Amino acid sequence: MRSTAKLWRMISLLSGIATVLLICGFFYAVKDISNPSSAAGISVSPGADSGSEQPAPSASDEIGIVAIGDSLAKGTGDDEGEGFAGRTVELLKQENPGREVKLYGNLGINGLLTTGLLDELKENGVQHMLKEANVILLSIGGNDLFQGAEALEEGGDLPTAAELNKAIDEASVRLAAVIPAIKKLNPEAALIYVGLYNPFSDIEQMRAIGNTGVTRWNTAAQTAVNKYSGALMIPTYDLFAGNLERFLSSDHFHPNGDGYEQIAQRIVQSLKQ
Amino acid sequence: MTDLMPLIRNETIKMVRKKRFYVILLVLLVLVPMFTYAQMKVTERNREKFGTDWRRSVQQAITDNQNSLGSSRLPEEWKKYRQIYIQQMKYYLDHDVNPQEPGGVTFTREFMDNASSLFIPLLIMGLASDIVSSERTTGTIKMLLTKPVRRWKVLFSKLVTLMMFVSLTVMAAFVMCYAISGLVFGYQGFDMPVFTGFQLNGSDVDLSAVHAVPQWLYLFLQLGLIWFVSAVVAMLAFMISVLVRSTAASIVIMMAALIAGSILTNMASAWQSAKYLFMVNLELTDYLSGTPAPIEGMTLGFSLAVLAVWGLASLVVSFLVFTKQDILN
Repeated sequence: MRSTAKLWRMISLLSGIATVLLICGFFYAVKDISNPSSAAGISVSPGADSGSEQPAPSASDEIGIVAIGDSLAKGTGDDEGEGFAGRTVELLKQENPGREVKLYGNLGINGLLTTGLLDELKENGVQHMLKEANVILLSIGGNDLFQGAEALEEGGDLPTAAELNKAIDEASVRLAAVIPAIKKLNPEAALIYVGLYNPFSDIEQMRAIGNTGVTRWNTAAQTAVNKYSGALMIPTYDLFAGNLERFLSSDHFHPNGDGYEQIAQRIVQSLKQ
Repeated sequence: MTDLMPLIRNETIKMVRKKRFYVILLVLLVLVPMFTYAQMKVTERNREKFGTDWRRSVQQAITDNQNSLGSSRLPEEWKKYRQIYIQQMKYYLDHDVNPQEPGGVTFTREFMDNASSLFIPLLIMGLASDIVSSERTTGTIKMLLTKPVRRWKVLFSKLVTLMMFVSLTVMAAFVMCYAISGLVFGYQGFDMPVFTGFQLNGSDVDLSAVHAVPQWLYLFLQLGLIWFVSAVVAMLAFMISVLVRSTAASIVIMMAALIAGSILTNMASAWQSAKYLFMVNLELTDYLSGTPAPIEGMTLGFSLAVLAVWGLASLVVSFLVFTKQDILN
């Protein structure tokens, strides 16, 4: 019976301590949750160590790519889900077998407008990601210009020339602010703006209006980009103009896989090796 | 009291001799390494994709969730979850705190979080389900009740023993999880800050009361909440064990209830009154981490009240039935 006595003493002691501890934890938790503002917390100094452990961009031989902007940056319409960002990485890997090429992240958000992008650029996480990249791929503006695109799918009205012009005037000002904002975050990285194409060039009454609008926009983008070294715009207008069937996905707005591949090839061509 | 102690002691020895607690330890010993290995694989893949930079992976998670918000196919309830998640992750980024700093303690915290609604209650069930019914199956109940001891004392001693082992089980789950996962992820991370105090307001998160607590304290609070859940589950299983003659039947009943709970929770229930069921209220730790409750209008106070009522009711039923019941076979 000696062993049972010992066993009993041990179990009763252990479970007693455990129960008391757990009950304390329970009441503390109830107090903390039901009255969180009075609970004492430890202080976390925001970003105290971010300066020291901030990895320097292009520290190694690695090519780090970040895509930011709208659904085109995200790759909507690409059945393989790669988009031009993923495809650019693949192409660069093939061309530079010795170097590490990585997609650090794809920050593309469907339906993003220039206003949304300006807000996004203020976020810590986004800033951090951009600071680390050596190549930043930017696509924005398509939704500002053709916001009616989805309405069009559902039989809505086509944008008129006046509406389009107004949208361009407003959005190009914001684009002119986006470029320096990114450049300020990361002056070293190559910033590549993907120009717009006219997804409606096969619609009779939209061809001229769309073409004029897209041309105006691209000129504005070119002007915004020109001021900065290491920033450039790659044209896509000519790619799609005669090849809508081939390069557009079924939503008649976003490129398909082949279309993204074409854009990615242009990006790679434009990158200084 | 003088005649209660020997009874409790007797029950404790019986519990140990039946080796139920060893089974629990064995289950933990087998399952925790599996979860650890799975988590290790996830970490490896993340590292491949994002390097060692956690900010990138958190930001990518935010962007991915933002994208899914635009989808019209996503139910409104899920959108709410994701909006809350996005705001919490942004908070972590803004304060430069890694929400998933790798380490044995972080793994334990997440494991306990996930285990609180199904895994640990299942272990508790293993202890509680046959505590009375096995005496019937083996016929020993007659010997127990022919002793010159009041019936309620017999039952009470069983309840106390059960609660003792509930505490031991919760502690054992924590200790084993920490010990095993630490082998892989390292034993550090007790003082890492964790944010708590997110107040949810529909899809908005009120950040005014958010405060950081060291992870050891967070775990302490979490274990306390899990203990409460486990105690209530134990009381329910205890009642079933009194009511049902066969141990197998009593396990099936409890298991069905628990699994029904986890299914109901995942349905993001439109069935509002389901919130009065005990099994959708088991995830008390959600209130700590700021994960929205499965049904509109559930708060910590509400869940505690529901669980307490279920627990007390089952105790009342157990004692009433046990003291009145005829023992036939």
